[in-house]
Amino acid sequence: MTGAFTTPSFEGLKALLLHREHANTEALERQFARIGVRVTRVWPELEPGLGFGDFDILLFDADMGYDGQFAWAPGEAPMPTIALIGSEAPGRVSWAAAHGADAQMLKPIGSSGAYSALVIATHAFARRKALEQKVETLIGRLNNRERLAEAVAVLMVRHGLSASAAYNRLRRSAMEARVTMDDAALRILDETGAGEEKSSGL
Amino acid sequence: MAEKIRVPVGILFSRSGSYAGPAGQGYAGALSAIEAVNADPESRFELRPVVADPGGNTDRYAPLARKLLVEHGVKHIVGCTTSWSRKEVIPVIEKTDALLWYPCMYEGFEASENVVYVGACSNQHVLPILEFAMPAFGDKGFLVGSNYIWGWETCRLAREVIGRSGGVVLGERQVSLGDTDIGHIVEEIRRKRPDFILNSLVGPSSYAFLKAYRALGEEDPDFLPARRPVLSCNFLENEMREIAPAYEGNFTTAIYFQALETADNRAFLASLDPALVDGGISACFAQAYASVLLIRAGLEAAEQATATAQLEAVKALRPSTPLGPLTIDPATNHLHAPVHIARGTADGRYAVFHHSREAVAPDPFLSRTPLTVGARQTPAPARLRIVP
Repeated sequence: MTGAFTTPSFEGLKALLLHREHANTEALERQFARIGVRVTRVWPELEPGLGFGDFDILLFDADMGYDGQFAWAPGEAPMPTIALIGSEAPGRVSWAAAHGADAQMLKPIGSSGAYSALVIATHAFARRKALEQKVETLIGRLNNRERLAEAVAVLMVRHGLSASAAYNRLRRSAMEARVTMDDAALRILDETGAGEEKSSGL
Repeated sequence: MAEKIRVPVGILFSRSGSYAGPAGQGYAGALSAIEAVNADPESRFELRPVVADPGGNTDRYAPLARKLLVEHGVKHIVGCTTSWSRKEVIPVIEKTDALLWYPCMYEGFEASENVVYVGACSNQHVLPILEFAMPAFGDKGFLVGSNYIWGWETCRLAREVIGRSGGVVLGERQVSLGDTDIGHIVEEIRRKRPDFILNSLVGPSSYAFLKAYRALGEEDPDFLPARRPVLSCNFLENEMREIAPAYEGNFTTAIYFQALETADNRAFLASLDPALVDGGISACFAQAYASVLLIRAGLEAAEQATATAQLEAVKALRPSTPLGPLTIDPATNHLHAPVHIARGTADGRYAVFHHSREAVAPDPFLSRTPLTVGARQTPAPARLRIVP
């Protein structure tokens, strides 16, 4: 069974709704109640004693919202976000987009839309987090390329090897020690950096 | 006697086209109930049916609904069979205070404040039929459905429930609405030997499939319903009459069956035109009938109010209907309903053998329903056994 076939359940989730009191927010609260999501509505900012960390999902007003409402830089919301869009003036829509809204709902809000927005926002958020993770790993690897080259050079000098033989030796030692190439390279550089010429077993 | 207050009621069903079978039941049910209300000396209202027939064409529903609301001043429409057609009517009706009474089983994931869902949603049909069938027949299913949202979502949910319950889906086939070329599906079932087949086909496709599967069972007793039955959440009494005895031994779930042995139901059937009763009275008929009774209850309670305010009044009542006393869920406008399971007989009737102990609360978004059922593990062939 793949994830594509599972019925999402939002029962018990806590949503933060950043919007002034309005018929739209009442309609939204009714929709969320039907699917078991508890809504806390605040405007314009969180009251003392409440933190964004207390919530699983954020809905914010794209019409009257402003940067200072959020505790993070644009696009870095630590939870799925849904923009509530009234005016489709490009300035407001771009602002909501810059804040990395994972999904959107258009006002006026009637009796549908919240469920699909939740499904899309949670999917988009999961994808966003997975991508961030991947980018972090890749940046780490990129940074390590220099180390890798340095470690190969150390092995060439130390053992009088060709570049490819030194590379193979590094790879073999990584495999034997069951660590990544990066970690194996780091070990060699650490030894060299400490200025000790004792045998590393390589 | 005081002059009765005339109230127009929109009736919006397709009496021709690929799903005229169930739609015709909705139509007849609504009209029979209007007749009954009008004949009741206790009633202060004379309901006047305003009939519109989209002829099975989805694009005609919205304009006809608008016409009923604007030109005829209708505040209540009983109508729609498919989810597509309901989705067409919703934007029109949500601009008003009027109500659509939708008297059909459907796949859920909707709760319009201008629609009353007078039929079962998934936790009241797919879940109970699998809960019954998997322990009884085994955990290997085969899914067939009509190629639109009802079939898709019924199959998707069944696949999820079967998978989560430790079972497997051996095959899934979707058939275009109206398509009767289904020999290849029966052939696939013959090869794969599922423990049960969940059938969410609609209309002629369903009839063709059921006849072909019956023929397979006559040819090879390993495919008789006692061993590998067909299960359905939308196969109606009037349709079963047409293809008798093809549905013999197969199973259907519904919140109403003609064969229900209750005082409410006996009185209801006795009150109907015997010709209608002979043709089969289905859940779609009874649910449309119940819709009209609920409309009347709302009028009695809050005649001057808007239709949506009348609905709020009905929610506080438990009006008596052929389905029993009905509660409308305040949050979702769906029914709290008892769930029954019945077996088809050789003469094209149902024999009801299982009732839920109490009314099952609607859960149209499946937020609170566990999506697993107890399953009987069927021994898999040795070469397919996976040892963890």
